[in-house]
Amino acid sequence: MADINYSIKGEKLVIAIDGFVDSANAPQVEEKINEIRNAEPKNSIEIDCRGLKYISSAGLRIILRLKKAVKDTVLTNVSSEVYEIFDMTGFTEMMEVRKAFRVISVEGCEVIGQGANGKVYRIDPDTIVKVYLNPDSLPEIERERELARTAFVLGIPTAIPYDVVRIEDGGFGSVFELLNAKSFGKLLSSGDKSVDEIAKMSVDLLKLIHGTVVKEGSMPDMKAVALGWAAFLKDYLPEDVYKKLYKLVDDVPYDLHMMHGDYHIKNVMLQNGEVLLIDMDTLCHGHPVFELASMYNAYVGYSELDHEIIKNFLGIDFETAGKLWRKMLSLYLGTEDEQIIQTVENKAMIVGYTRIMRRTIRRKGFETAEGRAVIESAKKHIIDLVSVTDKLTW
Amino acid sequence: MTVDIIKNENEAVILVAGRIDTATAPDFENAVNAVLQAFDNVIFDFKDLDYISSAGLRVMLRSQKSINAKFGTLKVINANETVAEIFEVTGFSSIIDIE
Repeated sequence: MADINYSIKGEKLVIAIDGFVDSANAPQVEEKINEIRNAEPKNSIEIDCRGLKYISSAGLRIILRLKKAVKDTVLTNVSSEVYEIFDMTGFTEMMEVRKAFRVISVEGCEVIGQGANGKVYRIDPDTIVKVYLNPDSLPEIERERELARTAFVLGIPTAIPYDVVRIEDGGFGSVFELLNAKSFGKLLSSGDKSVDEIAKMSVDLLKLIHGTVVKEGSMPDMKAVALGWAAFLKDYLPEDVYKKLYKLVDDVPYDLHMMHGDYHIKNVMLQNGEVLLIDMDTLCHGHPVFELASMYNAYVGYSELDHEIIKNFLGIDFETAGKLWRKMLSLYLGTEDEQIIQTVENKAMIVGYTRIMRRTIRRKGFETAEGRAVIESAKKHIIDLVSVTDKLTW
Repeated sequence: MTVDIIKNENEAVILVAGRIDTATAPDFENAVNAVLQAFDNVIFDFKDLDYISSAGLRVMLRSQKSINAKFGTLKVINANETVAEIFEVTGFSSIIDIE
């Protein structure tokens, strides 16, 4: 016996099959599916197999015909037993068959962290689960896990990204190795490590990241993103400045070296002498100017007008952050020549303030006095720096 | 964690028992490096290995790289279910030869 139900998810028709599909009921099952398709013609079909216990060859032929009629047909929430049937018959090669998530309970587990999106629980001595309460976050969770996995296999030191799981009380979670580590932010604010020590360790890891080449398409291209930021400012900058800015970004060569995208002292940890990277959702590839731009913003740009921002964000004061940034830049470039450091900082600032200006405008910055001050300041920096810069690379 | 090494004519077998984690990974790496200096072909026998952390996996990754550089072979055998699962889920099973 089988129960067939359906729902519409955006442009997708979701058909749920519960129970057993065999030669006895296959004709009725197919008839029911065709009825639903006639009522709701869509170019995308998801067969939700959550309740599917067994499927015989007659049932497989229904899916085969469905796949032929609607190319974008996928099977989801497939149990391990039913997955084996799809696997043995070659269906997993022919179409997307997604296994059901492992279900775990976090009841009684120690809460070891609380973020904006949910809580982090320790589920056994070696693993934690980051739970996301919003069920729509699944694609984002899977994307982050895939990026972390790609980086891990390339030798970037980070926690082992395990599987994505369904949480018994609702929501999804991402399982990671438990690290017994302290963030660079904590080590710095507690005085355990000096600015120079933190700068040295940060730059060593940064060079390892930037020395790693990724496969095309495995991570976003930062240049394309930055071009988008520049293009956004078309109506907000003098025409000649805008044109020069766009050309500067556009002239940066395509580059497949990895970058972290949000590299600051909260995202780097020290465990037993080993430096580890966390928060891999921003991983991308591109020329280092884009990384330096995001670092400039984290340490200086975002809190330039309001020094309190950095205290809340990184737990250190504006002056310390500025020193750390300058020290890192000097180590990264391998020089103490102030003029060289300044030239590269200018390039990072151009991209950094482009991002800040766009972000502030998009967040309705024109409606508040603080917002207008940030926009004006970013605009002034861009105008000044663009006039003295002829390329963003070095 | 304990590491035992069996030296054959053309290959070395590295037997690891216990846990390779943050605390023991440096010792594991030292033992492996000593073997890699003398041998081009190594077998990791993990029959008594209970757990391997990311620090341990990074040692495996570095070992594989240095073996590749001298055109040798590296193989993992007898991994238990927990350890095999770690290799599988991290994608290491596509980089390292696991039997």
